[in-house]
Amino acid sequence: MQRHRRDQASRAERLSVVPPTPDRPANADGLLTAVGRGDEAAFATLYDVVAPRVYGLIKRVLRDPAQAEEVAQETLVEVWRTAARFRAGQGSATAWVFTIAHRRAVDRVRAEQAATRREEQTATWAAQPPYDQVADEVHDRLERQQVRRCLDGLTELQRESITLAYYQGCTYPEVARMLDVSLPTIKSRMRDGLIRLRDCLGVEVRP
Amino acid sequence: MTTSDVHALSGAYALDALTDTERASFARHLDDCATCALEVAELREAAARLADQSWAVPPPGLRTRVLAEIANTRQEHPGSRPRARPPRSRLARHLLTAAAAVVVAAGAAAGTYAIQERRVDEQRAATVAARAESERVNAILSAPDATVRSGPVDGGGRITVVTSAMRDAAVVTLAADHAPAGDHAYQLWLTGAGRAMPAGVLPVGTATVTRVVSGTAAAQGIAVTIEPAGGSRTPTLPLVANVRI
Repeated sequence: MQRHRRDQASRAERLSVVPPTPDRPANADGLLTAVGRGDEAAFATLYDVVAPRVYGLIKRVLRDPAQAEEVAQETLVEVWRTAARFRAGQGSATAWVFTIAHRRAVDRVRAEQAATRREEQTATWAAQPPYDQVADEVHDRLERQQVRRCLDGLTELQRESITLAYYQGCTYPEVARMLDVSLPTIKSRMRDGLIRLRDCLGVEVRP
Repeated sequence: MTTSDVHALSGAYALDALTDTERASFARHLDDCATCALEVAELREAAARLADQSWAVPPPGLRTRVLAEIANTRQEHPGSRPRARPPRSRLARHLLTAAAAVVVAAGAAAGTYAIQERRVDEQRAATVAARAESERVNAILSAPDATVRSGPVDGGGRITVVTSAMRDAAVVTLAADHAPAGDHAYQLWLTGAGRAMPAGVLPVGTATVTRVVSGTAAAQGIAVTIEPAGGSRTPTLPLVANVRI
């Protein structure tokens, strides 16, 4: 009995520190499929798996915790609303969720910030490699180290093009201006950089 | 645009780094190019892993609010858009909504026409007006220079604006999640250098509408505000939505 309680306590502690533990059904694909059938409990579990990254990503793009919270809420409700459109096999559930989150964050950036002001800010941020900026509550995990290692394997121009677009919501013409590179070059670096990232991460989508 | 140009956009598309116009045309291209769609899915998958780099503890209360909101949110049924590409689907859906709203308006008017003899003239006028509106919408949507812009509505929802300089008009589709509270209504504005021209008031309690707005050639944007019922002559700030055209 005593031991049982201790086990429960230690499990609760682990859950609060590392959201997707192997102890629970943290298979996002399965969860999102269940959400598509109206399963609210599955949604609550999916929330715990994706919310830290959804909120973290949006906050990183918007740089404003209050707005980030609002956009994170919109994103997660959209995940619930449109979950039935998700098809396992045409990509992963996490990519599906983060695609919605990123798009919403970028929409907000473009709608609310004057282009000039954003470019000034971005120029300042660009002085340091964005992926080195440590979020408030950073959390070390193996996967993250893998992404980082793969980013390190890109050329500087590939890495900067991708991080400026993804983490700061810049359009490719904005990135081209900031890095003083032609439009076709930036388009190509975004594509070949992502292709290299895909191969490094071993990402695969079956047709 | 040559074929190789189009393919080169897949990276920027996966990173949400295209301009709105290019985004819309690339999304159309994806419908016809299975290879491109697969490449985009894979690049999206890789891009989404960048989110692993941004982990932050969500604010307390967010979980409760999200769970409360989904308990009151109707889910979309599958089948409307078979592929899992949410942003494009959303855009396409707005365009379809724009066209469908007008068709429904025309259909509803025609149906009533047959039933209520006393209101025949009125309904005939409404039907004719709806058909005319439908033709105007189609003329703008099918204009060779039509461009699509879209933006969020504060408090939830989206506004999509299809503009044609040739037609000097735009189709505005407002799809807010909620109507303004109390005796207030959404009002559309054409914004220009230092001033705003009224471009239509929605009825109180209305959250979605499709309207043709003329005179866009001289305007810089379409904005939405919340005004007292019947509308105002000058916009009451803040703007709840603002799309540059």
